[in-house]
Amino acid sequence: MADHWSGVPDPADDRAGAPQDATDKPVISVSDLGIEFYRSRRRQLSLREMIFHGRSGAPVETFWALRDISFDIHKGEAVGLVGGNGSGKSTLLKMIAGVLLPDAGSVEVTGGVAPLIELTGGFVNDLTARDNIYLTAGLHGLSKDRIEEHFDEIVDFAGPEVRAGLDMPYRHFSSGMKVRLGFAVITTLDEPIVLVDEVLAVGDRAFREKCYRRMEALLETGKTLFLVSHSEGDLKRFSTRGLFLKRGLLQLDGPMDDVLAAYNEDLDGGS
Amino acid sequence: MELIDRSRALTARGGVVRTLVVRDLRVRYAQSVLGYVWTILDPLLMSLIYFVVFVYIFHRGDVGHRPYFLFLLVGLLSWQWFSGTLTDTSRALIQEAKLVRSTNLPREVWVVRVVLSKGVEFVLSMPVLLFFLAIYLAKGDARLNGWLVLFPVGVVVEFVSLVGLGLLVAPVTALVSDTQRVIRILLRMLFYATPVIYAGKLVPPPYDKITWLNPMTGILEMMRAGLFRHDRFPIVWGAIATSVVMSVVLLLLGTTVFTRLERAVLKEI
Repeated sequence: MADHWSGVPDPADDRAGAPQDATDKPVISVSDLGIEFYRSRRRQLSLREMIFHGRSGAPVETFWALRDISFDIHKGEAVGLVGGNGSGKSTLLKMIAGVLLPDAGSVEVTGGVAPLIELTGGFVNDLTARDNIYLTAGLHGLSKDRIEEHFDEIVDFAGPEVRAGLDMPYRHFSSGMKVRLGFAVITTLDEPIVLVDEVLAVGDRAFREKCYRRMEALLETGKTLFLVSHSEGDLKRFSTRGLFLKRGLLQLDGPMDDVLAAYNEDLDGGS
Repeated sequence: MELIDRSRALTARGGVVRTLVVRDLRVRYAQSVLGYVWTILDPLLMSLIYFVVFVYIFHRGDVGHRPYFLFLLVGLLSWQWFSGTLTDTSRALIQEAKLVRSTNLPREVWVVRVVLSKGVEFVLSMPVLLFFLAIYLAKGDARLNGWLVLFPVGVVVEFVSLVGLGLLVAPVTALVSDTQRVIRILLRMLFYATPVIYAGKLVPPPYDKITWLNPMTGILEMMRAGLFRHDRFPIVWGAIATSVVMSVVLLLLGTTVFTRLERAVLKEI
């Protein structure tokens, strides 16, 4: 099954293996990263406020969602990101995906990214599932030939209900089916880096198990995995290295077990 | 230079832009059998209404080139591309927020894609224009001339202006939501300030120079140059030259504003 999407000549058999070669250039290099947000959403600004209350009616109070974050991730590593709500996990993931831009520091990513973020974002309600697969995969940079090559695989993975509804408008799909299709399309992208944002919690148990198996298969082909999750089980299953974020600061960067221990201790201490 | 870097990144992802344009057109035409008819019905009916109002009620069929109906049709088709694009680009980033948040594409893609798909619709509506042109040619009311070569130039200048304006408007509306309404009102006013239903030559000097600042003035002048006789309204070369300059100015301004606001927009959507 794994050879369907292997693009890497030298699959690391031991997925627990840390970087195969420590002198390698890191695939993800984050240095002194920081991003500042407004406390209130600026979109709620209105022209009326701007005209009658000076330049801007919104309070200009800001906070740093992430600050002074530095780490390197090498090819083939599986890193889990741990932290409470609002600690900046998703923000960090989005910056690595390139869909948010840092206000300080830099993120350097070598090679493409398959983002398992907002899985169903690219789908259009009015088109059929078939059209949607082509369009979304195309948006993520997959060529038409490659989509055709993998089309059956995508549909098989998404399940028999999706296959039955291939020519049905996408809006008639159940939310579970939508997510399955999204997962199937994105994991088919042959990118060296896979970013996962809590999407493993979706679908029924059978599908979840299927997702796990595919993620493991991806790791076996030497892909780099960056995972955000609240599930200790998922984190332990996939990641060997952990990053612990707390209020936008990187608290700990070390083996997953140590990071989880520190996180749990912090939670217990705080309550 | 910023503009060159950006457009290079954009052409590198040309396939994605094409995918999006195809998606837009497919959504538009898959939704209803009348899909194509809708795109041409609006300018056709509006041309008809203005024709009736000006020719039969005001008795002023002489405010534009003859045949006046053809004059209106060119103007309204081109105006529809202009106003439709501006209305859509003003919500381009908000409407596709989910996609913008989940795909790492040069963000200009979302603007250029709207301009292009509306542009394709404009091109697809050309058969209607050709149909009426053929009728008027057969009747001997219309005569083509060599300035027809300016028509495609007009299309290019309109494209460049729209990309510039779209890049200017899209991030601003993402940050200040009621800009969308302002744009709708401004567009309606601009419609009458643009020589769509009258010839630009009729604007008394020195005010005609002000209307030249609106790139659509020169663009329409170019599109109409080869289709009509210029005995009553000679081609206004000043407007044409100004529109070319304005389109480049708008493109530079749009790129600058877009790059400045991109960071903030990504945080807000």
